[in-house]
Amino acid sequence: MSIRHGLLALLERGPRYGSQLRTEFESRTGSTWPLNVGQVYTTLSRLERDGMVAQGGEDGAGHTLYTITDDGRAELRAWFEKPVDRTSPARDELAIKLAMAVGAPNVDIRDVIQSQRRHTVKAMQDYTRLKAQALLAVESGGARERDDVAWLLVLEQLIFQTEAEARWLDHCESRLIRLSATARSAPDAPDAQSEPDAPAAGAPAPAPAPVARAGARTDRP
Amino acid sequence: MKTWFHSWRAAIRIARRDAWRAKGRSALVLAMIALPILGVSAFDLTFRSAELSPAEKLDRTIGAADARFRDADMAGVPILQDPAGEMSAPARKEDDERWPSGPTDVTKTFPAGSTVLTDRVGSAKLTTSHGLLMTEVRELKASDPVARGIMPLLEGRYPEKNDEVMATSHFLETSGLSIGSTLSARNFERPYRIVGSYELPDSLKADQVNALPGAFLAPYGKAAEKAGLSAPDSSVSYLVRKPGGFTWNTVQEINTKGVLVASRAVLLSPPADADVPLYQKDGWGNYEAGPTDRAAELAAAATVVGLAMLEICLLAGPAFAVGARRSRRQLGLVGANGGARSHIRAIVLSGGLVIGIAAAVVGTVLAVVLTLALQPLLEQAMGQRFGSFDVRPLEILAIALLAVLTGLLAAIVPAVTASRQSVLSSLTGRRGVRRSNRVLPVIGLVALLLGGSVALFGSLVTEQVAVVAAGSALAELGVVAMTPALVGLFGRSGRWLPLSPRLALRDAVRNRGRTAPAVAAVLAAVAGTVAVSTYMASREAENRASYEPQLPYGAVAAFVREEGGRDVPAVREAVQRYLPVELRADVDRVSVGRPGCSPWGDAAGCGRFEVVVPPANECPLYAALPGGGDPTERFTPDQRRKMVTDDWRCKESSHGGIYVDGGLLVGDAKVLQVLGVDDPGAVKALADGKVVTFDRTQIDKNGTVGLKQITDTAAADKAMEEGRPVPGKVSSVPAYLVPGDEKSYGVRALITPAAAKAAGLSTVPLGMYAATDRLADSEQRQKLDGEIAKLGSNVELHVEEGFVNEYGIVLLSLAIFAGLVTIGAAGIATGLAQADAEADLKTLAAVGAPPRVRRTLSGFQCGVVAAMGVVLGSAAGLLPAVGLRLTEERDRLRYHEMSVAEGWTGTDTAPPDVPIVVPWETLAVLLVAVPLGAALLAALVTRSRGALARRAAT
Amino acid sequence: MSAQQPVLQLKNLTRVHGSGATEVHALRGIDLAVYPGELVAVMGPSGSGKSTLLTIAGGLDSPTSGEVIVEDTDITKVGIKELAALRRRSIGYVFQDYNLIPALTAAENVALPRELDGTPARKARVEALAALEEMSLGHLADRFPDEMSGGQQQRVAIARALVGDRRLVLADEPTGALDSETGESVLALLRTRCDAGAAGVLVTHEPRFAAWADRVVFLRDGAIVDQTVRSEADSLLSGRVAEA
Repeated sequence: MSIRHGLLALLERGPRYGSQLRTEFESRTGSTWPLNVGQVYTTLSRLERDGMVAQGGEDGAGHTLYTITDDGRAELRAWFEKPVDRTSPARDELAIKLAMAVGAPNVDIRDVIQSQRRHTVKAMQDYTRLKAQALLAVESGGARERDDVAWLLVLEQLIFQTEAEARWLDHCESRLIRLSATARSAPDAPDAQSEPDAPAAGAPAPAPAPVARAGARTDRP
Repeated sequence: MKTWFHSWRAAIRIARRDAWRAKGRSALVLAMIALPILGVSAFDLTFRSAELSPAEKLDRTIGAADARFRDADMAGVPILQDPAGEMSAPARKEDDERWPSGPTDVTKTFPAGSTVLTDRVGSAKLTTSHGLLMTEVRELKASDPVARGIMPLLEGRYPEKNDEVMATSHFLETSGLSIGSTLSARNFERPYRIVGSYELPDSLKADQVNALPGAFLAPYGKAAEKAGLSAPDSSVSYLVRKPGGFTWNTVQEINTKGVLVASRAVLLSPPADADVPLYQKDGWGNYEAGPTDRAAELAAAATVVGLAMLEICLLAGPAFAVGARRSRRQLGLVGANGGARSHIRAIVLSGGLVIGIAAAVVGTVLAVVLTLALQPLLEQAMGQRFGSFDVRPLEILAIALLAVLTGLLAAIVPAVTASRQSVLSSLTGRRGVRRSNRVLPVIGLVALLLGGSVALFGSLVTEQVAVVAAGSALAELGVVAMTPALVGLFGRSGRWLPLSPRLALRDAVRNRGRTAPAVAAVLAAVAGTVAVSTYMASREAENRASYEPQLPYGAVAAFVREEGGRDVPAVREAVQRYLPVELRADVDRVSVGRPGCSPWGDAAGCGRFEVVVPPANECPLYAALPGGGDPTERFTPDQRRKMVTDDWRCKESSHGGIYVDGGLLVGDAKVLQVLGVDDPGAVKALADGKVVTFDRTQIDKNGTVGLKQITDTAAADKAMEEGRPVPGKVSSVPAYLVPGDEKSYGVRALITPAAAKAAGLSTVPLGMYAATDRLADSEQRQKLDGEIAKLGSNVELHVEEGFVNEYGIVLLSLAIFAGLVTIGAAGIATGLAQADAEADLKTLAAVGAPPRVRRTLSGFQCGVVAAMGVVLGSAAGLLPAVGLRLTEERDRLRYHEMSVAEGWTGTDTAPPDVPIVVPWETLAVLLVAVPLGAALLAALVTRSRGALARRAAT
Repeated sequence: MSAQQPVLQLKNLTRVHGSGATEVHALRGIDLAVYPGELVAVMGPSGSGKSTLLTIAGGLDSPTSGEVIVEDTDITKVGIKELAALRRRSIGYVFQDYNLIPALTAAENVALPRELDGTPARKARVEALAALEEMSLGHLADRFPDEMSGGQQQRVAIARALVGDRRLVLADEPTGALDSETGESVLALLRTRCDAGAAGVLVTHEPRFAAWADRVVFLRDGAIVDQTVRSEADSLLSGRVAEA
C-alpha cells in the first residue's frame, strides 16, 4: 500500500511528526492524493505495530516524533525494488462505457469518444500548464527544488497516463472507422480481393481476426 | 535597388557555401570554364607581349642609331616615302614614264657630324659539320654602341678581326658548329673562326653570320666571280646617329636625294597621314588594317568564342541542374521563409556566378603564371623575343568576364526551372512529373524552320555561301534548343529493351534537365564535325577527280638550276642511291651566256632562250598586238567560242607537269621512256637529231622548230613590252611532232645533247628524270632529303605519289575532337545521373539487383546520352554540308555558263562536277565506336558498390 | 484576449484535391481565428487535413474557396510576389525536420528572411543574434546546422520563424523527429514565445504536445469537429496551482 511506503520514505530522511508527514506527502505528490491526518496516524500506528517505525521523543513544540526502524528500511528498499503490480488492472469506467456503447442504439460512439477526448485533452492541457510552471520553478532553483522535481514527476505521470488514454481513444476511433468501412464494403464488393486498388482489400481477413491481433498488439509497452 | 543588392548577398552566400560543399562537382565545372579562359588569357598575354612598342621595335631594327638610311634604287631622283621608311615612290607626277631605276650614293646624304655604321646583308653557302647551309651573312660592326640591341651577344665576344665571325644560336644549332670552330664558304676557302653567338630578337630562328664590314662579302663575291659564278646580291643600309635625330621634315629633305630614311623620331611620333605626301598619291594610301578587315576578324573571333561558350554552357549546365535538384528542399525552405521566385533564381544563378568568378580568377592567375614561366619556350616557338611582359588589364578583365558570363549562362536554365517549382513540392520532395519547358522547343522549331529555309534559299537561289552558313548555324541552334523534345521522342522506343538500358533510357528521358544539355553539347560538337567532314570529304573527292599528275605515277624528277649545274651530279647520284630507281634519264638545259648564269637571271653576260612560235601558229585570241592592248577584245563571244572549240591553235595543251625552261629539255630517248611516251617515231627522230615536240604550234611550215637565243635581255624586255618580236639568234632544227594527245608532263620539246650542240646551243646539266620500280617510301624520302640538304643547294625534287589526301589528318583530328567532347559530355551527364539516382540504385540493390547492375546502368546511361547526341548531331551536320556543296555547285555552274556564254570555254567542255561525299568512316566512328567507347568507359570507371546508405541531409 | 484583432483568420476554408473520380475534400468549411498570445494545436487522424490547413494558412497552397486573412491581408487574393513578401514579413514556418539551410550558420539562417527582405546583412545579423539571445540560443549563432542537435535546429527554426516583426508561427509536427524530452523543450520554447505575444498554430498528432496549446482543435475529414476551450480556473488542481 503506497501511503504506508510513502510515509516510510519520508521518515527515512529523518524523524517527523504526523501532520508534518501529511504536508510533506502532499507537497511531493501534488494534491493528487489528498490525505487526512487521521489516515496518517492510523497508518503510523500500523507501522509501529509491524515494527517498522518507533516513537522517538518530542520536538520543541511537543509533537511526537516518529523514526524509521531497520525493519522499516528493509521494507522500503523491497518496495522500491519491486515493480508495481499490473496483474489485476483497476476497473476503468471509460472502458466499460465504450464497450457498452458499441452497438447501443441511438448512441454515436464517435461522439462518445470525442467528448471523452476533449475532456482528456483538456485535462492534459491543465496538467501541462502546471508542468510549465513547475518547470519554471525547477529551473529557477531554490530551497524547494527537491519538492518541485517530485511534483514534476507526478504531473508527468498524470500527463502520460492521460495521453495513453487519449491515444487509446484515437485508436478506438480509427479501429471503429475501419471496421465500419469493411462492414460496408464487404456486401458491396464481394470480389474485393481481385481489385488491387480497393483500399480495404489490403486486409480482407474476416472481421474478428484483426481485433484479436490488435488486442495482442496493444500489450506492447 | 538596394533591397535587390542585399537579397543577392544572401543568395551568393548560400551559393558559395554550397559550391564548397559539393567540391567535386564545383571543381569539374570550374575546370571546364577556367581552361578556355586560361588559354585565351595566355594567348592574349603572349600576343600583347610579343607585340612590340615602336621604341622596342626600333631597338631591334636600328639599335641605338637615330635612323637607317637606304638607297631607294631610283637613280637618285627625289622620292616620297611613308613614315616607316618602307614604301617609296618617285616624287614627280607623270606616271606613264618609265619607273626610274638605279643606285645613288647614299653616303652623300649623311648630315655633318653624324656617326655612321654600314650594315650590309648578303648570303653565302657555308660549310657546316653536316655539309653546306645557305646562310645570311651580315656585315655590321655589332660591338659599336650605335648597333646595340640589333644583335645581342649571347656567348663569347664580338668579332674583332677580319677572320672572326659570330653566328646566331640557331645557326650554331643547325650547322653543328660551336664557338671556336671555323667555317668557310663554298668557292671561298678562307677560314673564319666563330668567336661568339648572338640572336636576332625578332627572328630567333634565323641562320645568320655576322662579320666585320668588308671582311666577308666583298672577297667572297670576288671568289665566286673567279669561279665563273655571279657574285651574290647584297643590300646595304646605314645606321646613322646624329644629335637631335631626324625629324619628318629632315627625312623629306633627304628623300629628295633618292634616299629612304627610317627615323627613330618619326616612328616614335609619326606625322598625320595628311602630312605624308606619299599617301596623297593615287594608290599609295595608308592601308594599315582597314576597318572592314578588323570587323571580319572580330566577327570570326566572336563566333568562335560564342560557340565555345555555348558548348561550355551546355556541358556545365547539367551540373547546375543537378545542384539545384539536390538542394530542392533548401530552395523550398527559402521559399517558405519568404523567398520569392527571383530569390530562388538568384541562388541558383549565384552558383553560376560563384563558379564563374572562381574560374575567372583561377584561369587568369594561371594564365599569367604560366605565360611568365613558359616565356622562353613561347619565345622559341614564336621565333621572337617578347618586348616587355604586357598585361592589358582591360582585355584580361574582359576575358575573365567571359568566364563569369559563361557560368551565369550555364546556370540560367536550371535557375528558371528551380524557381518554377512550387514551394510545397520542393519541401515535400515529391518528384512529381517534370513537365519540360514548352517554350524552348517551340523557339527551337521556329529557329530550325527559319534557319533551314534560309539555308535552302541560300543553296537554291543565291550563291552566297554566307547565307547558307548563317542559315545552317541558326538551324543548328534550333536543333540544340529542341533537344529536350527530341530526347523525349527517344523515350518511346524503350519499351522492348532489357532492364538496364530501359532504366537508363527512362532515366535520361525523365531527367531532361540534366540529359538535354549534355546531348545538346554532343550534338553541337558532332554536328560541326560531321558538317566539316562531309564538306571536306566532298572537296577531297572533287580534288581527286581533278588531280593532274606532274609525272607518271612513281616517277621522280630532280632539277638544280643554280651555279651552272655544279651540284647536279651529286643530286643524280643521291637520287639513284636512295630511291629504287629503275631507269634514269639525265637532262640538261640550254644556257645562254656564261655557264654560271641562272636561267632567268639578267646579270651581266647572261641571257635566255625561247622556242619560237611562228606568227601563223599563234592563236589569234592571244597573239600580241603591236602597240599593246588586249587581243581578245577584238572578237565576239561567238567567235571566241568557235575558236576555243574548233581552232587547233587555241586548244590548250594538256596541263600539269614540272616547269621546264622554255619547254625545251636536252636529253635522250630515256626521257621519253620515263615520261611514258611510247612512240618509236619519236625515238627515231631523236636519234636523227630532230627536235621532238609535243606542241603543234611550235612547228613552222618548213617542219622545223626555231630556237632563239636572247643575249640582250634589256632589249628583249622592251620589245615584249611594245609587242614587237624579240631580237635574238634563231637556230632552226627539223622537228618531229609526237602524234596524238600524248601527256608530256610539262615537257614541250626534247632534243638530244648532240643535236643541241649541232644547232649551236650550249648546255649545262639540269638534273634528271627517273622511273622507279616501286613508290619510294617515307624512309627513303627522308634519307634523300637529308642528303640533298647537305648539299645546301636549291633542288627541285618531285616524287609523283598520285593524289594525296591532305585533309585526312584534319578529318581524323576532327573525329577525335568530337569523340572527346562526346565522351566528356556523356561522362559528365552520367556522373550527374549517378549522383542523382543514388536512391534508385539503393532501391535496386534492396530488391536484389546484383552489384553489376550499377555498372551496366551507368554504362548505358553514358551510352544513351552519347548515342542520342551523335545520332542527332550526324543528322544535323549532314544538312549544312550538303547545302554548302549545293551552293558551290550553283556557283561553279554559273561561272561555267558565263564562261561558255562569253566564249572563253568551248561548249564541248563538261560542266564542273561538285560531288557530295558522305565520310562514312568518320560517321561510323562517331555513330558506333564513340557511344560504345563512352559506355564501356563509364562502366569501367563506375564502382560496383555504392556508398553506404545514408539519408541525404539536403 | 478576444478583444484583440486575430493574427490569423480562416473563413469557410475549402480545399479540394483533384477532380472527378479522384476528388478529395481535404478541407471543408474551416473557420478558425488565432489571436496574439495564443497557441492553437490542430489534432486529428492522418488524412484529416491538418497539414493542408497549415500550408494554406501560410500561403504555400491556395484554398479552393474561403479566405485566409493574415494581419488584415487576405492572402488568397494576392500575387505570388506579395505572398513571398508576406512570408518574409509575417509568417514563420517550422517543419518536422531539416528546417535549416545547411549552407548557412544558425545566425544566418535566422537572418535569412530579413536579408531576403533587403535588410542590410549587418542589421539582419544583429536582429538574428537578438532573436537567438532572447531564446537563450546565442551560443549556437555561428554553428552550421550539421553541427547542431535536432532539438537545437528546431529551436533555431523557431527563432527564425519569429525574427523581425513576424508574429505568426506555423509549426508542422515540429517535434516529429525528436525524442520526448527534446520535443518538450521545443514546445516549451514555442509556448514562451506565444506567451510573449506571438500567435502559433501547431499541427501534431501527439496529444502530449498538443496539450501545450491554449486551445486544441480537433479535425476530422477536413472539418473542425470539436475544440477545447481554455479554462480560466484550473478545475483539477486549483489549490496546488496557487501554492506553486
